[in-house]
Amino acid sequence: MPSTFHTLEREREFKFPSKTGSNAEELQKLSEPHVESFNAIFHVEGSKDGKGLLDRAVEDISPCVIFDGKDSNGSKGNKLKFWIEEVNVGKPSVMCDGHSKLLYPYECRERGITYKSKMQAKFCWTVNDGPENSEVKNLGYLPIMVRSSKCNLYGLSSAELIKKREDSEEFGGYFVINGIERLIRLLIIPRRNNPIALIRSSFQNRGPTYTHFGVSIRCARPDQTSQTVTIHYCTDGNVTLRFIYRKQEYMVPLMLILKSLVECSDKEIFERVIMGNSDREVQDTFVTDRMELLLRDFKKFNLYNREQCLAYLGTKFHVMMDSPDDMNALEVGKEFLKRVILVHLNDDREKFNILIFMLQKLYALVAGKCVPDNPDSPMNQEVLLGGFLYLAHIKEKLVDILAAIKGQINQDIRRGLASVDFFNLKYIQKVMSKVNVDVGRKMEFFLATGNLITNTGLDLQQVSGYTVVAEKLNYYRYLSHFRSIHRGSFFAELKTTSVRKLLPEAWGFLCPVHTPDGGPCGLLNHLSHKCKIITSEYDISNLPKLIISLGVSPIYLNPVITEKQITLSDEDKTNEDLMEQTIMVMIDGKVIGWCSAKKAKEVADTLRFWKVNGRNNVPLDIELAFIPPSRGGQYPGLFIFTTMSRMMRPVKYLANGKKDMVGSLEQVYMEIACLNEDIVPGVTTHQDFAPTDMLSVIANMTPFSDFNQSPRNLYQCQMGKQTMGTPAHNLPSRTDNKMYRLQTGQTPIVRPKMHDKYKLDYYPNGMNAVVAVISYTGYDMEDAMILNKSSEERGFGHGVIYKSHFIDLTEKCPKGEPNACYFKFQQNTSNLRNLEEIEKAKQTLDQDGLPIIGAKLTTGCALYSYFDETSGQTKIVKYKEIEDGFVQEVRALGDESNNRGFQKAQIKIRITRRPIIGDKFSSRHGQKGVCSLKWPMVDMPFSESGIVPDVIINPHAFPSRMTIGMFVESMAGKSGALHGIAQDSTPFQFSEDHQTAVDYFGEQLKAAGYNYYGNEPMYSGITGKEFKADIYLGVVYYQRLRHMVSDKYQVRTTGPVHNLTQQPVKGRKRAGGIRFGEMERDSLIAHGVSYTLQDRLMNCSDYSQAYVCKKCGSILSPMAVPNTTVVPSKRESVVCGTCNTHKYIDLISVPYVFRYLCTELLSMKIRLKLEVD
Amino acid sequence: MNDISLSAITGFDSGPTVQLKELESDHIKFSLSNVDLSVANGIRRAMIADVPTMAIDLVEIETNTTVLTDEFIAHRLGLIPLTSTDVDKNFAYTRECNCTDYCNLCSVELNLNVKCTEDRTMEVTSRELISQNDNIVPVTIDDQDPGILIAKMRKGQELKLKCIAKKGTGKEHAKWSPVCGVGFDYDPYNKLRHTTYWIEDDEKTEWPLSENAKEEQPPIEGEPFDYNAVPNKFYYKFETTGSMEAKDVVLSSLNILQAKFDELRNELKREQNMNQYN
Repeated sequence: MPSTFHTLEREREFKFPSKTGSNAEELQKLSEPHVESFNAIFHVEGSKDGKGLLDRAVEDISPCVIFDGKDSNGSKGNKLKFWIEEVNVGKPSVMCDGHSKLLYPYECRERGITYKSKMQAKFCWTVNDGPENSEVKNLGYLPIMVRSSKCNLYGLSSAELIKKREDSEEFGGYFVINGIERLIRLLIIPRRNNPIALIRSSFQNRGPTYTHFGVSIRCARPDQTSQTVTIHYCTDGNVTLRFIYRKQEYMVPLMLILKSLVECSDKEIFERVIMGNSDREVQDTFVTDRMELLLRDFKKFNLYNREQCLAYLGTKFHVMMDSPDDMNALEVGKEFLKRVILVHLNDDREKFNILIFMLQKLYALVAGKCVPDNPDSPMNQEVLLGGFLYLAHIKEKLVDILAAIKGQINQDIRRGLASVDFFNLKYIQKVMSKVNVDVGRKMEFFLATGNLITNTGLDLQQVSGYTVVAEKLNYYRYLSHFRSIHRGSFFAELKTTSVRKLLPEAWGFLCPVHTPDGGPCGLLNHLSHKCKIITSEYDISNLPKLIISLGVSPIYLNPVITEKQITLSDEDKTNEDLMEQTIMVMIDGKVIGWCSAKKAKEVADTLRFWKVNGRNNVPLDIELAFIPPSRGGQYPGLFIFTTMSRMMRPVKYLANGKKDMVGSLEQVYMEIACLNEDIVPGVTTHQDFAPTDMLSVIANMTPFSDFNQSPRNLYQCQMGKQTMGTPAHNLPSRTDNKMYRLQTGQTPIVRPKMHDKYKLDYYPNGMNAVVAVISYTGYDMEDAMILNKSSEERGFGHGVIYKSHFIDLTEKCPKGEPNACYFKFQQNTSNLRNLEEIEKAKQTLDQDGLPIIGAKLTTGCALYSYFDETSGQTKIVKYKEIEDGFVQEVRALGDESNNRGFQKAQIKIRITRRPIIGDKFSSRHGQKGVCSLKWPMVDMPFSESGIVPDVIINPHAFPSRMTIGMFVESMAGKSGALHGIAQDSTPFQFSEDHQTAVDYFGEQLKAAGYNYYGNEPMYSGITGKEFKADIYLGVVYYQRLRHMVSDKYQVRTTGPVHNLTQQPVKGRKRAGGIRFGEMERDSLIAHGVSYTLQDRLMNCSDYSQAYVCKKCGSILSPMAVPNTTVVPSKRESVVCGTCNTHKYIDLISVPYVFRYLCTELLSMKIRLKLEVD
Repeated sequence: MNDISLSAITGFDSGPTVQLKELESDHIKFSLSNVDLSVANGIRRAMIADVPTMAIDLVEIETNTTVLTDEFIAHRLGLIPLTSTDVDKNFAYTRECNCTDYCNLCSVELNLNVKCTEDRTMEVTSRELISQNDNIVPVTIDDQDPGILIAKMRKGQELKLKCIAKKGTGKEHAKWSPVCGVGFDYDPYNKLRHTTYWIEDDEKTEWPLSENAKEEQPPIEGEPFDYNAVPNKFYYKFETTGSMEAKDVVLSSLNILQAKFDELRNELKREQNMNQYN
């Protein structure tokens, strides 16, 4: 029988890594949203023209137009039109000995440089619309995402990755910036092209008459940048459209936009809004009244046709749009509509239609016929992918370049420089060279800091915190960085907690347990492991036709509405009546037509059947959200989404058992069962593939999490990420500042199926421990745990820390001067003074000035030495850490210029960390504890078979925490160890009515000759007597957490004091003291131990003696005078400066800060008077 | 076992009896009757923590170009069991030895010098450890036994080191313990009611009887509980690490216990004598 632990398979995979793909394909998929979104910059998957987002962005940038004012043709002078074309990005490479060689991420990590490649753009210009000139310019070096299509690791197999000094499972998705791996966080943003109804009190602050009603839509351009517009309802019946352009807020009457979009009469607009109800007796006059007001109000503008409206817009927005001077108002108006208003659509008629729809929704909201949409619900959200944000930032930087060129030329013109000559190639080139075109550096800054320096705001709510370091503390933590999704730092400061709520709509998209507790709780979520983010486009050109053919009426026809629909109010309508109601059908925010809700449901069902079966070219990844009419529920309609960035998840389509992809909006209105027993015949259409689909990768790793109280699973998600484990396999080519590694990691006996699926056995994170639940010595009180000393001696929990020291000799020299330092250790020196020091340094240093590999370093040892040419001295730098370490690796780091030898070095030091008292451990059930004692094996309790527990924990850890999963794991682990099988601990496998987990594992234990419930009689190791109670003994997987006393203990007797106050300094690093604060002081006062109080606050702190003049009460006036008497007595040498006598001088002890206080007060002309007896 | 007179201490009329059930070189199963619980447990404890064996204690690494770190290899070497028959007699504890550092009387030198020259993964095992004392060598089961894996090497890697094995006990470090866990059991029917079995439904189905139960009389229904009964038959079962014969571990432990008692007796006597003089 093959091992259920797959040990041999794993060994084979390690020995012969896959030469064609990856050893762990599932693991590779985890970074897909990052990598694919970055790839889309250069090539959008599924796009028709094969262009990338970058090409689209460049096309979208409007050319800049400049007039030189030289009166040759017309008053404006010569016209220079300037634009960018063909932005190209190469593959990362580096110059080496005069020729270029490919640069790989490992080199960047080791050398502490950025993984980037050359970026070029073609700058084109015409003068007076004449022939086109162009010049290719370098835009600097653009940081490249690892394993993206521009990365040199793209498409490499596991075997090839190992050759490039990467992990066999490297999945990329991050950038290497100065040797540090950073990634752009996924961010939740409003769903694009989806009008949402909002009620926000802040809308009332927009101006007088503004109400809290609004309908907002975030429109995305083809290059994934977006522009949000909101329409507001005003108390005077007016409706205005609000948008933010270059961080400036603008409000435009909606009627003005409507009328400038299409040539239409008031009647037409009226009819469109009330959908053909105009010629009938309308009972509900709410909308008609408002429409009348709206139309009447617009009369004050005296604009009667489209051209007038456009020209009006043009005059108003000419400055905002920064339009060319030769553009007339009409064109500016058109340009404004194209660039700002509903940018996801090209056609003005379509824009008009969606605005009408938004107006209808707004009126429904105001009338209370629909509820506001919840912007915090995943149904109205999508994901801002790293690649798209990156691109948006690049686009803005390109726009900035054009603006800078324009500014430069305008400046030259203003100064009246004679050299300004548009026809002169040299001049244009000179202007271009003056402008900073280094986009790469700006992008590097963005990635290094996470700060967005932007003029437009990019339609986002925050300017910082976009990138994080992908820490490789252990593999769980590393992996969850790529799955984490943030709500935005704006919401972190929000006092209301509604954004943090876990909503049922998030089922299957965001993990309900994997979120931190405390500050970012509910804001920093993690994707469910099956959740997919769409990163490709689909050809949906036939979709509108298909929909029309299914019976949807095109928008230009007005619906015929039955008498019943009009006369009955929503409350009186039956469900059938409701389904007769006319609703809109939209694709990606484009109105296709209308039909009855009943028809729309048919259309949705048919399309779903087609998409699941792959018929009629309906792609699987589109979302068909049919929102049925309701009595005051969400605004109805059939909304189809096909765009990128949406969250989708796979579910089983029950009709044929095939996979269907479901989006977050449609899911709310679908009938999806989770378990078999949830299926309601005739209602349920879909079913989850597995109930664990809703959990994130990390949450899935908690064994039997369905048995635990939910917060414990949440804690485990946190602790799994703080565990000492196996961070990577390419440790020799990693240079992380600090890395934790468990020496004796094991595969868990009890693990969920997902553990094997994601091949997490590659990265062991803990060890199987025999755990007895017993209150034994008293050393296991309050979550402490007793460790078996002998187990520890045999290797239990042994770990190491790798610490890196980066040395840059260029920093040793004053800035601006040439580097005069180089690594060297001169052993024979004539200087006798530091002979001893040099002798000592010989033990750890080599002649090159760098430490010997394997050398043991203790505090005060030489770490490295260098020779300073200016002073002619060899300087030895010492190892300052308290803990002993061993030199693991030494790396000489050169740079491309390579003219002075290497100036930088990196020394990796290994610090061994065997478990000691005070180190933290935890099971996988949020049960953490501190090792309180290492108890020898002979004294430990033992079972009849002679088994001695590795860990003893207290039974009191269970009643209040209710981590039953840990009990089950203990039983499962025990029987697994006895039978030699890996136990499946996937949650939701057992049920009360079928076979309980206890029975399943109990039978196994019984078969091995053990007690059914996992108990065993145990004997005291000290006396050999059987315990009064039998003990729950089993095998539990234990994690060693990275919090260790060696990093935390703080102790001092005397030590450094603060300069100003003479009080002990704070901070462990500076050997400071622990603050004895106000509350501690209070308790001493309460105890009445005043002597202790004085000892703590004065004698052990800033005790000082000061002279005081008893007459004037000052401690500042007494001053020492030179001794004149032959036999000086102490007191006489001090004289009060104000009283001019020494008679009243006395010596008192005061805290030193008191003296400081006195001088500070003095500087504010406040005198402090002491009354001394 | 004439020299062991436990009956004086145990308080049992008849002397202790040992019933041997299984004996092989590396494991043993026996029962011990007519002794007090404290003595029985004392033997158990002595076997784990007091029986001296040899184990590698110092490692001087000359060359280590393997992927494993020095201290990790040293730790692994320490845990390799070395044949330690008669270590008790033949070696002294280094701390008690007359030498300044270590010498042949208190330690054994083992050397390891391996270099991988072939283009394949090479396994360095305990068989490569060359001992200077033929009696103290790494444990192997038979000739086919490949030995205990120390490290794996690829072409060009080298491991050269000198190990000093010293005498020690499990009390000091687990590597000197000659046994794996020691199975220890008494009163399989729980007649003495030292423990209480947790029962959900039925004791018979939930609590399988220990294999030692067949050695004892099952309790009779309605039998009155004997308050004064004490455990007197103890079942031992253990496996050694291979460093010593199972039998020798037991004997050695008894010697150690006896030596301890002797020491105690001598001390008491001296105390008595001193009191007499005073």
